[in-house]
Amino acid sequence: MAEVRLPDWLKEPRGELCPAGKGGTHGFLDKTLMNISAFMRATLSSGAADRPGALQSLSPKARIAGFLFLILAGSLTGSAFMLIGALVITAVAMSLSNVSAASLAKRVAPPLFFTSVIAIPVFFEFITPGAPVFGVSIGGLSLSVTREGAETGLFLILRVGVMVALSSLLLLTTRQADFFSGLKELKVPHLFVTALYMTFRYIFVLLKTAEDAVLARKSRTIATVKLSEAQGWAGSRMALILKRSISYAEEVNMAMISRGFDGRLRTLRAPGMEGRDYIWIFLTLFFLFLSFGV
Amino acid sequence: MAQEVLRLSGISYSYGEGYALKGISFSAAQGESLGILGANGSGKSTLLKIMNGLVFPTSGEMRFAGDILDERTLNGPFQRCFRERTGFVFPEPDVQLFSPTVFDEVAFGPLQLGLPEDEVRRRVAALLDMLGISALKERPPYTLSSGEKKKVAIASVLSTNPDLLLLDEPTNGLDPRTQVWLFELLQGLKDLKKTIIMATHDLSLVGDFCDRVIVIGEDHGIAADDKADKILGDKDLLLKANIIHEHTHRHGDIIHIHSHGPFSIHDEHE
Repeated sequence: MAEVRLPDWLKEPRGELCPAGKGGTHGFLDKTLMNISAFMRATLSSGAADRPGALQSLSPKARIAGFLFLILAGSLTGSAFMLIGALVITAVAMSLSNVSAASLAKRVAPPLFFTSVIAIPVFFEFITPGAPVFGVSIGGLSLSVTREGAETGLFLILRVGVMVALSSLLLLTTRQADFFSGLKELKVPHLFVTALYMTFRYIFVLLKTAEDAVLARKSRTIATVKLSEAQGWAGSRMALILKRSISYAEEVNMAMISRGFDGRLRTLRAPGMEGRDYIWIFLTLFFLFLSFGV
Repeated sequence: MAQEVLRLSGISYSYGEGYALKGISFSAAQGESLGILGANGSGKSTLLKIMNGLVFPTSGEMRFAGDILDERTLNGPFQRCFRERTGFVFPEPDVQLFSPTVFDEVAFGPLQLGLPEDEVRRRVAALLDMLGISALKERPPYTLSSGEKKKVAIASVLSTNPDLLLLDEPTNGLDPRTQVWLFELLQGLKDLKKTIIMATHDLSLVGDFCDRVIVIGEDHGIAADDKADKILGDKDLLLKANIIHEHTHRHGDIIHIHSHGPFSIHDEHE
């Protein structure tokens, strides 16, 4: 084997200490990625699934079906009262299932914030004409918020809030394994269930890869990097992660085949339906029925 | 004489113009423990995947318990039988641990093979207990440490009770205590007459555990196939196959030339 010769500059000792740091902020890229990662972990975790509670005592099949009826009702109804009704059901189910309001709010807040931002133009006359409620002046341009615009915007925000709250409560109170076995028992196509199952599992591995890439770069970055360079680097990392996800998918497929997977995912059967499961399904189905008429 | 489990005859595998494996021929008998040594990129992992019917050779023939194993025959009852009787532990546990919980992970194989649910639950509980990881059964595998992941990966393969166990870099990333645990587990499986084939760089594990060693050379063909002590005692062979390397270093005024690994001896002084 060839002898390794260290270059002279690598042998020079550094005598002086580093100057004291003056503080600073995290880079935009790593901060964003860490936040996305934390949000995904919080959103996809089933934090309250192992606690005793009303929803947890239902069979996964009944639980998922009931939530699907409620979500369907929320998306079909044109009435704010029905949406408020769905919100009340969510709050009651949450308190009967040992889920804290804070943990649910943490999941609902980010999508609600983004929806509110997107919905802002809807409040104004140039998108939704109607009776002006009040006017604002921005840089010499006067804009009016209309009554119809405010109603439409608030209704949209309320509808999104209800949907996110319902789906978050379902995920919070359902173990991942139960969620997938419930979907299977509801006869959701197994290709869809398998794809969803893999997405849940490997999203964290890929996020960790992205985090490590950002940290590795950060540990070797001294000067401030130009925006165009940072954008170029981020683009190349995205391509790398995509490439890695493809090779990961191939390896995972092999690992599944090696253990007998033949394209049809078999899981342990979930417990059968009991009286309370039928009551839950009846109540949520009734709510869905009401939403058609209102 | 022990029954032949696997026979490879003239197996080659090519990626485009280059070869990953070239003219590999050997057989493995029931209860044999076989180590596969080779430098990085010599084709060890590809060879294990071929032996597990995950990739298929470009030329050559492979037989499992006397039956031809190829893309055409690996279906129906033979596929089920083959999958039940072989287990493959991947080098990267994250690839292998795709289920939502540890319990589901260990149950995955037997469930896919159609075992009754009561039997699956019984096997999973027994394995988790044997490996001392019962407390982890509800945990998602991605939250485990490297050693715990490796234990779950091994449990997930053992749950189908395979006769032939293929391990790719089994001690990779494990701390010394977990390496000892793995060695003792493999020794227990060897006593049960399981056939164990491992691709590794860990010469001490090969020396302590394997009966026989195959060396894959840098030309992707078999450079040697013999008893473990004979192969591991052949320093020239190991140097040539780039499995060990030699270097000089200084202890005070004395300069040594020696190789690395468990067979390193401070034998040449200048």
